[in-house]
Amino acid sequence: MEKPSLSVDFCGIKMETPIVLLSGCVGFGEEYTRVNGYSNREIGAICLKGTTLEPRLGNTPHRIIETPGGMINSIGLQNPGAEHVINNILPNLDFSETRYIANISGSSVEEYGEIAAMFDDSPVDSIEINISCPNVKDGGAVFGNDPEVSARVVEACRKATTKPLITKLSPNQTDIANNAQHCIDAGTDAFAVINTLMGMSIDIDRRRPIIGNNQGGLSGPAIKPVALLKVHQVYQVCKDHNIPIIGQGGISNAEDAIEFIIAGATTIGIGTALFSDPLICSSINSGIEEYMRKHQTSSLSDLTGTLELNQAAPATPSCEC
Amino acid sequence: MNPDRDSIFKEETTILEHLHLDGDQHILKLNSPDIASTALPGSFVHVECGPQFTLRRPISIMRADKNSGTIELLYKRLGRGTTALSEREVGEPLSLLGPIGRPFIPHPERKRPLLIGGGVGMPPMVFIAESLRSDSSYQPFAILGSEVPFPFPVTPSQMVIPGMPDGVIGSMPLLEDWGIPNRLASLQGYPGTHDGYVTDLARHWLDALTVEERSQVELFSCGPHPMLEAVATLAREYDLPCQVSLEEFMACGVGGCAGCVVQIETPQGPAMKRVCVDGPVFEATAVFGA
Ligand SMILES: Cc1cc2nc3c(=O)[nH]c(=O)nc-3n(C[C@H](O)[C@H](O)[C@H](O)COP(=O)(O)OP(=O)(O)OC[C@H]3O[C@@H](n4cnc5c(N)ncnc54)[C@H](O)[C@@H]3O)c2cc1C
Ligand SMILES: Cc1cc2nc3c(=O)[nH]c(=O)nc-3n(C[C@H](O)[C@H](O)[C@H](O)COP(=O)(O)O)c2cc1C
Ligand code: FES
Repeated sequence: MEKPSLSVDFCGIKMETPIVLLSGCVGFGEEYTRVNGYSNREIGAICLKGTTLEPRLGNTPHRIIETPGGMINSIGLQNPGAEHVINNILPNLDFSETRYIANISGSSVEEYGEIAAMFDDSPVDSIEINISCPNVKDGGAVFGNDPEVSARVVEACRKATTKPLITKLSPNQTDIANNAQHCIDAGTDAFAVINTLMGMSIDIDRRRPIIGNNQGGLSGPAIKPVALLKVHQVYQVCKDHNIPIIGQGGISNAEDAIEFIIAGATTIGIGTALFSDPLICSSINSGIEEYMRKHQTSSLSDLTGTLELNQAAPATPSCEC
Repeated sequence: MNPDRDSIFKEETTILEHLHLDGDQHILKLNSPDIASTALPGSFVHVECGPQFTLRRPISIMRADKNSGTIELLYKRLGRGTTALSEREVGEPLSLLGPIGRPFIPHPERKRPLLIGGGVGMPPMVFIAESLRSDSSYQPFAILGSEVPFPFPVTPSQMVIPGMPDGVIGSMPLLEDWGIPNRLASLQGYPGTHDGYVTDLARHWLDALTVEERSQVELFSCGPHPMLEAVATLAREYDLPCQVSLEEFMACGVGGCAGCVVQIETPQGPAMKRVCVDGPVFEATAVFGA
């Protein structure tokens, strides 16, 4: 058997490994290089911090709190604005190490298009449209929870760029597959599934939410089962269009990663898991390789969507309750 | 390229000693050669308290010995993470990330550093004291405050310090052994300590200096936020430079998530700075106003 290869083609972007570091967890791509032994070369791509047209200070602390099996964050898209990112940050990134994906948020459909146009004229490999940020009032989830509006955002970005567009879907909506279909029709090239779930944590002595912004996005292992189902659902509409998915939400080891790939992901995102282990990517890479060897798979894409559903027993009508 | 590349180690350390003291305070001594070799006063480590936790917990480094490759931490049991940490036993492994953060940097021309530590803000003050020990041109003075029993035997000092109220003779033996004068404050009435605030003692000490001596003072402080604010006010009143170490909830600890920010005044206006890598040490004026 050929040596298993971790490299994947993700809507035309050649990634050395299937690992994508997730937006908001690794700043603008260089932060984790502080850690001895960490290398961007082990990563397929890095999604940069959510970027808006104007600079944003972000939300009031506390911005994060640990919760059972996960954490809540409400950063509020702190970023120096698209122009600064393009002129002052991107030129300092080493594009020989990995692929870089911009992550954009707008406060109107037009603004999404405007930011996408700015990044179109930049060295990023792709643009991820964040229509699912739960932490800002004037953007993100307001767009992403309505399939019609999601499609208009994707359409505006599509007109503004020829770079691959990844639409980041929210789990906080009724029918994610329907939304995905609208986004495909509007011209998205790929999906990121899922962004955080909305959550709250309360200080019982003060009787106040711990998070400054009262609520925030739940991430980490606690959301993994939800994320996995959403990837499976979105894959059902993607498979006929050859649209790849970055599966994400609580992945913290190679087994989790493989579950997402089987459910339909082409690449897998790591965010919260980095916080306890900044060197986790090399062990995920080698765990995936080991699995491929064991299952005689030489190409990772052969695993994508290989899930076989159980058949309901004839006498028991299918019921989710 | 990030100028701080490779500055933080992920080190699987071993617990060499774990002392359990009054007031839910604990001292950990760890075999941690990589971190010990580059730690500076004000640096902290991000500690994995157990596999059940999504996030590590930040704890300041109190002592770092390059020769023996060991570090010491002093922490107070607060919630679930530090409770799990307090149950770890000698010989067990403990995963650390560190050293992290911008350190306290004493100004070369301010030869009279005033170190003010409150509660579990004491460790960085001990670290500064130890780092200044080898440079006899510095004449530091330390003031430590605690509302739980001090995590060391309060011992009558052999050093005379002008300006101290009568009876305020208790000191930390380790600092005393290093030849670093120090005094203690508490509202709990512990014998030998000042019955009041650390800033009261700071004021007495400053007032007993000559104008010339006072112009050589720089303040360094770590402790509860209200204490830091009082120290910053004092520094402003005496027109002295002051560096403070801040705390905020942290996720990554390496600058990636912007979860740990505090609002800082900069010449360009307010900015959100990360406590983990832009701090934890900041100029007091940037935090509390000029
Ligand atoms: C730079 C820095 C240095 C520190 N040095 C020390 C030290 O030397 N000794 C010591 O005893 N404590 C120190 N602390 C505080 C210590 O990090 C907290 O007491 C600890 O995180 C509490 O965790 P817990 O799970 O026991 O408490 P919980 O209240 O259950 O914690 C819940 C969450 O909130 C976070 N959290 C709660 N309080 C704090 C706090 N004050 N600061 C940061 N995060 C907090 C925890 O990390 C955790 O993510 C330091 C904090 C910072 C930021
Ligand atoms: C601290 C933090 C900040 C985040 N910021 C962003 C962001 O700016 N843009 C975005 O699209 N997603 C953001 N996310 C969501 C993540 O990219 C990811 O989709 C989510 O955390 C689920 O993956 P995980 O469980 O592996 O972390 C953020 C998540 C965290 C924890
Ligand atoms: S804790 Fe993530 S940036 Fe400081």
